Amino acid sequence: MTATAERQMELTLPMIPDIEIAAARAAGNLARELGMASESIDEMAHAMIEACINAREHSGSADRRIYVRITGTSLGAGNSRIDIWITDHGKGFNVTEARSRRQQLGTVHKRGWGLQIIEAHMDEVSISTNPDGTTIHMVKLGRSGS
Amino acid sequence: MSPTAQEHEGRIMTDELRVAVDRRGTAGAVLYTKGYINNVGGEEIANRAYELMDGGVRTLLLNLKETKIVNSIGISILIEIIEKMIDQGGRIGFCSLTPVIHKTFQIMGLANYAAIFTDEETAVKELAL
Repeated sequence: MTATAERQMELTLPMIPDIEIAAARAAGNLARELGMASESIDEMAHAMIEACINAREHSGSADRRIYVRITGTSLGAGNSRIDIWITDHGKGFNVTEARSRRQQLGTVHKRGWGLQIIEAHMDEVSISTNPDGTTIHMVKLGRSGS
Repeated sequence: MSPTAQEHEGRIMTDELRVAVDRRGTAGAVLYTKGYINNVGGEEIANRAYELMDGGVRTLLLNLKETKIVNSIGISILIEIIEKMIDQGGRIGFCSLTPVIHKTFQIMGLANYAAIFTDEETAVKELAL
């Protein structure tokens, strides 16, 4: 099986309300070109929305920009892979603290669910964060479908 | 990147949420949503829901058939609506969710406090609306 990065795009987005929709639409269009099933695209879109909202609402970045890089790879046999990197130049955050909310799953806590939603909807998630900014790398694997 | 026209306007173009209400008897109602449930959309739903509660509605069904995208801020507002309805001795149900929205509701625990139905016909029957 040969994996080739067939599609790539980079976006620099202003931190304005609803900008997350633009990012999700861009990734969705790329995934559709690769034939990814619609439910997988929807999951990816919701994860992207939460990642962009986290950057916009919590990063505290001075440049007020979200840097998005998306690559799409056809893996053959109807399989595809989308890699997404969402970067901000903010102050970083405590990943351990954010993940600790997972222990409260099933209870009604009204805010702070972004990371849990991202990890539930994506196949792989990794985060690098420090006082100069944060990059979240997300992977969605998909099979072709309607 | 230089600021775009959209940035000057302060908001990207999206399908703003629309809410329609169908009263069912004196104590019931169905809310139909269309569009993105974000903070603004969630507040719109909350305003309509609270108006209905103030008017005596104690059984409320939210039909999300025309909503394809939600975010965690919007869902947090839906949870506040549920809490207020429970405080008033009422109940809330949701129907016609996309699989991804259903999954997101479960992640955030909303499904523990509100009934979720496949379609409106089933919901209306179960909630006696």
